[in-house]
Amino acid sequence: MTTRPGRVIRFTLVGLRTHLLYMSRSVTTVLFTIATPVLYSLIAIYLSHAATHPARVIQASVAAGLMGIWSSVLFQSGTAFQRQRRLGVLELIVGAPTPILLALFPITLATAVIGAYAMATTVFCAVVFFGASITPFLSPLFLAAVLVCIVTLGFVGVLMACSFIMLRNAYALVNTLEHPIWMLSGMMVPLSALPGWLHPLSWLLPSMWGTQAVRDSVVGGPVAVPITIALGTGATYLALAVFTVKRVERRALALATLTLA
Amino acid sequence: MRTFRVTLIGGIISYRALFHWVRPASFVGSLLAAPLFQLLFFVFLGRALGVADDRFYVLGNVILSATGACIFGGAMGVANERVYGTLGHVLLSTCRRGALWAGRSLPYAVNAVAVMVFTLACATALLGVRMPVGSLAGLAAAMVVGSLSCTAFGIMIGAIGLRFRNVDTIADAAMMLLVIATGAEVPHSALPIWLDGIGLFLPLTNAIDAARGSVDGLAGSAVMIDVGREVLVGVGYAGLAAVLLKYFEYRSRSGLSLDAV
Amino acid sequence: MWRQVCARQSDAADRLAESAAIESANLRRVYTVRTGWRRRTTKEIHAVQGVTFSVERGELFGLLGPNGAGKTTIIKMLNTLLLPTAGSARVLGYDVVKHPVAVRQRIGYVFGGDRGLYDRLSGLDNLRFFAELYGVDPAVQRRRIGTLLDMVGLIGRERERVEGYSRGMRQRLHIARGLLNEPEVLFLDEPSIGVDPVAARDLRAIIKELAAGGTTVLLTTHYMAEADELCDRVAVIVAGRFKALGRPADIKASVVNDQVLEICARSVRDVHLDALRRLPGVRSVGVDNHSDGASVILVRADGTSNFHASAIRTLNDLWIIRVNTRQASLEDAYIALMSPAQGTGIGTQTSPVGPL
Repeated sequence: MTTRPGRVIRFTLVGLRTHLLYMSRSVTTVLFTIATPVLYSLIAIYLSHAATHPARVIQASVAAGLMGIWSSVLFQSGTAFQRQRRLGVLELIVGAPTPILLALFPITLATAVIGAYAMATTVFCAVVFFGASITPFLSPLFLAAVLVCIVTLGFVGVLMACSFIMLRNAYALVNTLEHPIWMLSGMMVPLSALPGWLHPLSWLLPSMWGTQAVRDSVVGGPVAVPITIALGTGATYLALAVFTVKRVERRALALATLTLA
Repeated sequence: MRTFRVTLIGGIISYRALFHWVRPASFVGSLLAAPLFQLLFFVFLGRALGVADDRFYVLGNVILSATGACIFGGAMGVANERVYGTLGHVLLSTCRRGALWAGRSLPYAVNAVAVMVFTLACATALLGVRMPVGSLAGLAAAMVVGSLSCTAFGIMIGAIGLRFRNVDTIADAAMMLLVIATGAEVPHSALPIWLDGIGLFLPLTNAIDAARGSVDGLAGSAVMIDVGREVLVGVGYAGLAAVLLKYFEYRSRSGLSLDAV
Repeated sequence: MWRQVCARQSDAADRLAESAAIESANLRRVYTVRTGWRRRTTKEIHAVQGVTFSVERGELFGLLGPNGAGKTTIIKMLNTLLLPTAGSARVLGYDVVKHPVAVRQRIGYVFGGDRGLYDRLSGLDNLRFFAELYGVDPAVQRRRIGTLLDMVGLIGRERERVEGYSRGMRQRLHIARGLLNEPEVLFLDEPSIGVDPVAARDLRAIIKELAAGGTTVLLTTHYMAEADELCDRVAVIVAGRFKALGRPADIKASVVNDQVLEICARSVRDVHLDALRRLPGVRSVGVDNHSDGASVILVRADGTSNFHASAIRTLNDLWIIRVNTRQASLEDAYIALMSPAQGTGIGTQTSPVGPL
């Protein structure tokens, strides 16, 4: 077995197809991925009407879509090891000659792609049920910004998956992190509404920069800078994952936690 | 005496056996931290949109924080008998069904009140929102009645889970419905009429109104009307749960298997 | 990390002579269990207590023992899924701790049960994914998957979702998965558990075929008959220690000439059992107590001794329901090896048969 770039790409694609297919065949996963963002977009839309700002439908649907991508990455990647463990395939993944980080990436990437279903659904609802214009959603800049969000959140997912491998109760942490990251990324709650001392925390999140890029692409702002910073911060998370994974793997092998559900 | 033991001791043991979030990490993450962060999310969103003050969202989300323990707890407390293969033993027992299922409900209702009190205390400390002393009685009544009616709702979902798979999906959908239709996050006036109408038949809607009315200084009689409505809703779901449990038990004896997961 | 992937081409100086496929030296594994959250107590479980053995290339070696004996723990240390607490092990010359990737490139691992597959995917999709995971050259994947599906008898069913497979079919798919990378050493952890007799027979045929083809196989099982049929050599493990190691015929020989006297009686007490143990020629005494108050005493003795009359006389104050004599079976040998040296269990500790 070699680690040629060709093999890495092939494995990523085969792995992505495998895990995307697996997750898509779970009605629960798909429904839950779509329903929560639709719910929050409706809440935001109703509140926006209440605040007499009818033009915020597009913003609400985009924000909810981004929230859906994060939720999917959080819940599916954060519990990736738990799910692989429950299926009984975690030992097969760890025991394979493929580096564990490479084995993980298609899983987390698949979770981010599944999250894109949420974006598509909230946009659809905005256009069909609330009369929003579809034009902003068809621009190449918007699509590029969403793709950057998916990829960088995939990197964050890898770090989460590696860090959570030791946790038997990863669901507990996953439930806790959903709303804080939504807030710190400025997805629906603007950063200006948060206390100032939290802002430096949000700068460390690729999701914050990805959100800014997506928002700028819709309103016609500059996207190059936030996209670049999003990719840079995402790469940092990937580097942290590389650092973490070997130590965590060794600890898991020492403490025999690969099979504990 | 036996009925008392089945209700109290049996209820506590089943709570420990069937409720997945009873582990400390899951309890803290899923039942305490997550609802608190959800509260903060909506407080900040409300501030950004200028829709309602902090107190509106604090009270709505404090009452809503019961949903985790009530809905998922109630659902797990019934449906997980099927998952673990112990349903047959339960159905073979000679104890009174009312005592049995009532015993299942009580720990979750108590759990929910504890969660509500914790959430209120943290929100008060973090946001500086004060509740008038005179409102505490009405607030307590709203919490207790809300937790009982929401638990009855959760038991009803659990009963559905005896027949249908994916009770988690049903519970998730129910929680989302409560988030949007009870008036916790969106004022009744901002909701579409049909959605507001659905909310009248959901648990917690009237409890939230009672809590807000009590804190806003409404007359005790007005608050008790809302509490009374919540009691009626709870009784309705308790009755529906009893009918469903009886029906599915009857069907299991006449050939419909309940033990397949 | 990337250098470890290429360990096959480097570090030749660290490989031992290539005669042994598996070698372990004083391998140990201790689990630490913590309970309670107000007052935490820690308990150590010595799952494997210093096992030393080797498996030759092409050999079919069995680890036989009851549940909780340490079989799976040993296999997981050898296939790099668990770090040993002490001792060392090498697979095909590579240290399992220092060179895990080199080991993983050369081994296959198959375990019994329903888990270990993506049940919402087809058998074919599962094999495609695992082929990529185990680094099978894309140029040969399709042909190899087809060959393996044919070998395990799943041709025509490969496009169905695994969730619709029977236990036997899943187990066959597991074996196909474990062979994707053409391993030199195959670890089989209780592969026939929960499988019906016909499917188990088919599995044993596949395993024999693999061994005949030169693959080194290490098999764990608690079925003596399976070990007897398949294995060139067997190690009997109880409570983390080897109690016997050798050819199945040699292990059986330790009891094959023995006789067993079965006495069903009421009100059996320890004093009766102790008296039976003291009789000349008696090797072991055990008792199986039934809920109706009757007990079945099994007395295993040297086949040349005439102990029947003495045994009956020893129990003359009991109400004897029936008496039966027979030759010792494989099961008796197994039970004799499994049981502790003292107490009411049958059997005493035997010294290892054959070289360790």
